[in-house]
Amino acid sequence: MTKIVTYKEGRLDKYYIPALLVGLKVTLKQFYKTLFLGQATTINYPEEKREYSQRFRGEHFISVDPTKTENCTACYLCQTVCPADCITIVAGERPEEENPFGVKKEKRPVSFDIDALRCCFCGFCEEACPKDAIKLSRNYEMATLDRETAIYDLDHLKREVKGRG
Amino acid sequence: MTTSEALTKPKMTIDGQVVEFEPGDTIMRAAERARVDKTIPRFCYHPGLPVAGTCRMCAVEVEKAPKLMTACSTPAADGMVVLTQSDRVRKSRSGVMEMLLANHPLDCPVCDQAGECSLQDYSYEYGPSKSEFKEDKRVWKEATTKALSERLTLNMNRCIHCERCVRFTEDVTKTNELLMDNRGWHKELTTALDEGMFNEYQGNVADICPVGAITFNDFRFQKRVWFLKEKVGICDGCAKGCSIYADEEKGTVHRYRARFNAEVNKHWICDEGRMSFHRYQNAERVIHPLLSASGSLNATTWETVVPWLLSEMKKARRILLLIGTDASSEEAATIAQMLPSFSSADFVVRSWNGTNGVQSSVDDAALDHLLRRRDHTSNTRGIESLGIKPWNSATEQNFDLAIYFRCGRATLPPVMAQKEIAWGVFDLPEIQRFAAVLPGLSTLEKFGTYTNCDQVTQSFEIVVKGPGGTASVRKVLDGMKLKSSTPVREVVRDTI
Repeated sequence: MTKIVTYKEGRLDKYYIPALLVGLKVTLKQFYKTLFLGQATTINYPEEKREYSQRFRGEHFISVDPTKTENCTACYLCQTVCPADCITIVAGERPEEENPFGVKKEKRPVSFDIDALRCCFCGFCEEACPKDAIKLSRNYEMATLDRETAIYDLDHLKREVKGRG
Repeated sequence: MTTSEALTKPKMTIDGQVVEFEPGDTIMRAAERARVDKTIPRFCYHPGLPVAGTCRMCAVEVEKAPKLMTACSTPAADGMVVLTQSDRVRKSRSGVMEMLLANHPLDCPVCDQAGECSLQDYSYEYGPSKSEFKEDKRVWKEATTKALSERLTLNMNRCIHCERCVRFTEDVTKTNELLMDNRGWHKELTTALDEGMFNEYQGNVADICPVGAITFNDFRFQKRVWFLKEKVGICDGCAKGCSIYADEEKGTVHRYRARFNAEVNKHWICDEGRMSFHRYQNAERVIHPLLSASGSLNATTWETVVPWLLSEMKKARRILLLIGTDASSEEAATIAQMLPSFSSADFVVRSWNGTNGVQSSVDDAALDHLLRRRDHTSNTRGIESLGIKPWNSATEQNFDLAIYFRCGRATLPPVMAQKEIAWGVFDLPEIQRFAAVLPGLSTLEKFGTYTNCDQVTQSFEIVVKGPGGTASVRKVLDGMKLKSSTPVREVVRDTI
């Protein structure tokens, strides 16, 4: 049973002026705070950036070792756990001449694609990774001009990220 | 022996369940017969190999026996009472697991066996959650992975020394290529010769390896096994028709594994058959109808090809219908019966094989003591039982039109007629001489029946969907019925 609430307009409501003043009060308060007290609520994005939590989950990256070799061993655990089905890995064998690590890194991702448009940033991949290879950085600026750019390949994922970005 | 004794089988009790067994069985065999063997873990025991009793994982408690007995090697006796899950047994298995895991690298994420690994499963079920082993693990520093042959890769660190592989080369292939060097801590699997392994059944070694120590290069690093769906099928690589599991994901077959079939292949399949699924998944396969126009074959549609084929068949006066011996019995019978009814021409139905010079099952012979056959098509016997005779290219000539139906295995016959039409599974390099190509389905993509070289008839089911514009024989013939204006002449089976 829906309760119907009716509001009867009084004479003051018909002129709209009092309601306007109520709204202007909030505006003027913020105007005064920004102009004279320097207490702005907004920031000058993109010159200024908001500080996010250390645990914020943003754009993905794959950690690399000092020789710029990815830590990923293409175990497919992230692809298995991914609820959005956005990770696609093709595994292969690292050529022997490029592999000073022996059996530790003999398996490598030939391609590693993350479809950021499908990703729901749950961070399960990060949790599942036994090598701490895939991580989510704190970068939240992921806007692109086309869909292709939003599908991150291995080279993009291996880019340099300081700390957690 | 009196009659009543011969009829009553000896009985034993496994976990409170009374099971019958054949005299001479071991406890494990008796449990397998009664299908209660899931509760007995095993590493070294394999039903297709002789018993070794090295892993001690299958130890079970036998009442009135002072110690635990290995189920794989203890003969079953009448009235025996066996406990497979008692506390003593579980404690013993936990100890075995801890010993095995002491030197096993925990590289499951990289290991290809993960997901179907006995060590993983039993560790989860019986293993201790922690290890008392504080020392350094044994690591083979030089050759952590080495090639046993160009088909197999060995990672010795993962080996648990069950010696299934050694026994396989000793007793199944009888080639004795593998052996264990040294003893105890330094026990290492090596090949007897520097050349490595050379038998044709190496893939089975990777199959029976309970851990990821030996991996098959064709499948190594290709896929994690938990993504794969296990479908049953038949290998069509030769006249043997081995039973297989075809593991498939999203319409792509990634590997074949042997499926136990006592009458055909036991537990094994050959390497050639194991890798034969690539035959149907290569980029060169014709998967859309092609029709020759102005000197070259062009892609077209079924709507164009079928009326064209009908008109060609009407025009011709003597037609050769050549059926490859790799077609299923159903396909061959349907084509041989139906196709002549679309034309008033003189139809000659013949079969063609051509692999290794084989034309009929008389030419077929075994290549070794296990499975491989000379005949590389799957249904020579079945086509013969339909009454279709092999084509004699020397005497039977002068055809206006020839239709060649095959499913990817039979070879290309010599020139049959002025105008030749290919129907079935063909590759791009093979089709230059044909006037049209009608893409058909391979063994993986259809259902049907094959009769193998030993007269065993087996049916098989669809594993994956046919790629692109491929169509089944029935669909094509239905389309021809719709397009043909004249009523279809009925043909009785006996005339073919």
